[in-house]
Amino acid sequence: MRYGAPGFGDFRRMMVLVFAALLAAFVCGWLHKTAAAIGLLALAFVLAVALFLWEVYSPQYGFAMPWIQVERAAPHAATGEG
Amino acid sequence: MRESQEKNALVFGNYLYQLLILTTFAGILTAALVMQYAFGELPCPLCLLQRAAMFGICFGIVCDFRGGFSYRNVGLSLLNAVFLLVVSVRQSLLDIYARPGHAYVGSAVFGLHMPVWSVIISVMLLMAYALQLAVLGGDRDLPNVPAGAFPKLKRAGEAVSLYAMALLAINLVSVVLQCGFDQCHTFGYALLHG
Repeated sequence: MRYGAPGFGDFRRMMVLVFAALLAAFVCGWLHKTAAAIGLLALAFVLAVALFLWEVYSPQYGFAMPWIQVERAAPHAATGEG
Repeated sequence: MRESQEKNALVFGNYLYQLLILTTFAGILTAALVMQYAFGELPCPLCLLQRAAMFGICFGIVCDFRGGFSYRNVGLSLLNAVFLLVVSVRQSLLDIYARPGHAYVGSAVFGLHMPVWSVIISVMLLMAYALQLAVLGGDRDLPNVPAGAFPKLKRAGEAVSLYAMALLAINLVSVVLQCGFDQCHTFGYALLHG
């Protein structure tokens, strides 16, 4: 598959930001700049969560996963027991 | 005297435990890179997020070896372990039912695909931290003894930490090549095809 010229996309899709923030956090942690390191790790975490939610969201299903829903009622439901 | 020796053994055991966890994750992340470059298996976006979570787990341990053990660092690792579990469970459920356009990416290792392994790894890590806190969590002296009290262990820990940072730098370059500054795909390396 051919690509067009790579450009800048929505920041929520940019995996590179997650890894860049993580590497910066590691470097700051290594240099004993604790507050900056934890701030950058928190940034990487927030970006990763946002990217995860964007990746799994489907315009058709939302966050639901209909392919794993069973369609037959459980036996005990039919008898009204349990 | 004997009490002091016992405390020292506990603190040493704690750092050794952290080193084992860090080494295990460095090994897993190395295997992921080998699969990517030696066997041509490009990571999907959720796979990359799982790698990021594993680096986040390593971060807490690296901080332990640099600045001394802290329960805050354990918390940071646990936070990333939970994120790893959430992402890997979601990916396992995405591909659990075979349908067009959806299948487990990559090859199976011992019959299990990568997201299923990630579920196992994250649960094992959560259990390992639960065990650590149950056994050592009552010791108030743990955060007061820096890793420098055990020079060989500190050197080993810092060596593995540097290795983990090198892996992260390689992953960053790899992500730039694969995704550029946009959404990631598994078709190929975006910047090499541009």
